[in-house]
Amino acid sequence: MKKIALLALVAALPAFATFAQETRSPFADTVEIRHGLMLQMAADLGKLGAIAKGQTPYDAATATKSAANLAAIASVISMDQFPAGSEVDAAPDSFALPAIWTNPDDFAAKITGLNDAASFMVAAAGKDASSIKGVMANLGGACGSCHKAYRQPEE
Amino acid sequence: MKRLLLTGSALALVGLGGFLVITRPAHVDPTAVAALTGDATRGENLFWLGGCAACHAAEKAEGDALKVLSGGKAFVTQFGTFRAPNISSDPDHGIGTWTNAQFADALLHGTSPDNQHFYPAFPYASYTRASLQEAVDLRAYMATLPASNTPNMPHDVGFPFNQRWLLGGWKLLFMSDAPVVTGTLNEQETQGRHMVEGLGHCSECHTPRNPLGGLDKSAWLSGAPNPDGKGRIPNITPAKLDWSESDIADYLKTGFTPEFDSAGGSMVEVVTNLSHLSDEERLAIAAYLKRVPPIAN
Repeated sequence: MKKIALLALVAALPAFATFAQETRSPFADTVEIRHGLMLQMAADLGKLGAIAKGQTPYDAATATKSAANLAAIASVISMDQFPAGSEVDAAPDSFALPAIWTNPDDFAAKITGLNDAASFMVAAAGKDASSIKGVMANLGGACGSCHKAYRQPEE
Repeated sequence: MKRLLLTGSALALVGLGGFLVITRPAHVDPTAVAALTGDATRGENLFWLGGCAACHAAEKAEGDALKVLSGGKAFVTQFGTFRAPNISSDPDHGIGTWTNAQFADALLHGTSPDNQHFYPAFPYASYTRASLQEAVDLRAYMATLPASNTPNMPHDVGFPFNQRWLLGGWKLLFMSDAPVVTGTLNEQETQGRHMVEGLGHCSECHTPRNPLGGLDKSAWLSGAPNPDGKGRIPNITPAKLDWSESDIADYLKTGFTPEFDSAGGSMVEVVTNLSHLSDEERLAIAAYLKRVPPIAN
């Protein structure tokens, strides 16, 4: 009996998969890309942050690599990942506020700000832990200035 | 009958008179203020702790523009729309001609130079826990900031909330300079309490309010609806905020959570302000937050 139930379930799986595919939002990949970029930045910031906080010893190779990643990701971010219609409440899992599309110039300025802040981190990462600590708040400010205006708060 | 009516009216008048006497705008002691000299350097630190620019700078101001306190930002509430006034050093449109005592009256008692109650959108119910010296220090710093000739915009508040004399009753009910978190606190926690419950005015957003807009002190810092719209202002009692003290202090400086997400919403401005404080002061805030009674909700 148990086996039959399991078989039925397995047989039904492709049907579920097709169903899921059909209802997948046209912006699903876009939103996933955005979140992926942010998560990769968080991972690299985590390594740099641990050094800044003194939780892990300064290591030039690790710090340089993470800072280079941040700069690379910042350079990728553009309106390409923010097509019209991919805002919160319109696209699943999106937290992007509609203000992005009403203030594209300011949004672009925030992206430039992130690139600048990341380049300061690149310069600091090759030096020492206290240099990294010194530019952390500036980088956080760049993240925050965009999140304040253009990201829907989660809680 | 006529006599009864007359007696009733007389009693009502006496009652009203009594209310007005009890709830008249409070003032600082001008002699005590006159004895103090403001320290602008200390005042700058208090300026950032108090978050003055978050409301009184122009909409979307960043960087040095945060020091131009031209006012104008609108605050939409259930009681009406309030407009932050110009509090720059301009003598005509700002507060350049105010005396130190008038400034301290405003900050610590919510009393205007023309002896009216300010609306508590101006968080004097928190600022009242600051000291007279701090008020004078803050004034000294703000006097060094640029003048702006932006005219004030009127509040848009309907009856009965446009009756400012009623605010005396609000103050009587909800305003107190007594600390909220009591018990034995060490020096660092006490410093943090003075900052958080006073000029930092964290509870103005993080504590829920009753229908009259007074803070529910039994739910201190346990989160509240977001006055800017969607979502909630988070619970920052130890029941929810389980970060280490150094993680809290780092967040208040960089805006990065321990997972390296970044602050969002109005907290971004708070972090911008608090990033001007010392590490030691941010750690004091964190130490205090650990002493707040945990409230799960």
